Amino acid sequence: METYLISVDEFCGHYKVEVSFIKSLEEFGLLKTKSIKKTRFINIEDLTGLERYIRLYKELEINPEGLHAVSHLLNQLEFLQNKIAALNNEISYYKQLH
Amino acid sequence: MEYIDYYKVLEIKKDAATDDIKKAYRKLARKYHPDLNPNNDEANKKFQQINEANEVLSDPEKRKKYDRYGKDWQHADQFDAQQQQRQSQGRTRGAAGGFSGFGGDDFSDFFSSMFGGGGGARSSGSRSPFKGQDYSSELNLNLLDAYTTHKQTLTVNGKQVRITIPAGVENGQKIKLPGYGAPGPNNGPAGDLFISFNISEHPKFKRKGNDIHIQEEVDLYTAILGGEKIIETLNGKVKLTIPAGTQPDTTLRLKGKGFPVYKKENQFGDLYVKWTVKIPTKLSAQQKELFEQLSKL
Repeated sequence: METYLISVDEFCGHYKVEVSFIKSLEEFGLLKTKSIKKTRFINIEDLTGLERYIRLYKELEINPEGLHAVSHLLNQLEFLQNKIAALNNEISYYKQLH
Repeated sequence: MEYIDYYKVLEIKKDAATDDIKKAYRKLARKYHPDLNPNNDEANKKFQQINEANEVLSDPEKRKKYDRYGKDWQHADQFDAQQQQRQSQGRTRGAAGGFSGFGGDDFSDFFSSMFGGGGGARSSGSRSPFKGQDYSSELNLNLLDAYTTHKQTLTVNGKQVRITIPAGVENGQKIKLPGYGAPGPNNGPAGDLFISFNISEHPKFKRKGNDIHIQEEVDLYTAILGGEKIIETLNGKVKLTIPAGTQPDTTLRLKGKGFPVYKKENQFGDLYVKWTVKIPTKLSAQQKELFEQLSKL
């Protein structure tokens, strides 16, 4: 599968964020960059999540430590929402039987 | 059109200072920000309200107009005329600092009628080229539609979008179509389209995950003596052997005859067939006599 990359510098210029912000995200395991010939790149598939971090960082002033915690809680929320959807489907199955 | 009490929305007093407004806004924004409330329409609605309230109350001119005309917003035009006469004194635009990318431009009818559509006075100097707004849409399917991979054409915001629906989608499942959302502001990439599926129930085939459950009737004589029955499955007819002495509610599992597993080619759940034994209700005189004889054996 073809992957599209954007250099960290280009990304930061475009989104007006500091390179250190990207480094922090990487340190907290929230993002993985790729190094090609001494240039760091971001996979385009990570853009949606990255934009979310930028919004939370810029608009709500949540620092990278906070983003780490938020990300963990959002993952849990997603898991629980999926679980609720599956349970609702199961309940609906039993309702059909009675 | 209903009057909106922006002070109430931001949970502040009418004489709140600019700093208090900012603080209240930030506090509520942290609570209702769409990134922190995925799939929560209520929170998104609330977020739009607080954005709108901030847009008005953090701008001195808008706040003045709102305070003066609030409930009598229909007379706000007269206020505008007066303001234009005084315009030579220059304007100070408050930096509302509204959030981008979350339908923040979806102002209420009340706002639009009082301040004109779309919050044009919003400060835009610091706007980054963010991704466009995501769209979401619902698609109704029946169980048999969800059984096979197929294509459908949807109309989203006036545009025709042809999508492939993979077999095995679940009721309530959401899929993302990258780039089918609104164009990005300031040359940002387009948003995504999220489609959630509503799959209606089938009168016969009941789905539980990837398994399908059905009930089939078997007459008393076949249940006792054994026999065969052809039943309908989701992918054709199957002949089943009914062993002699089959008890009511006996369940049989047909491996791989259930629902396709989402995005896993050639993997299927199982089909469960529950036998319901049909007891005859109207017996002929001869049948009754034979049953009586049987009962005495």
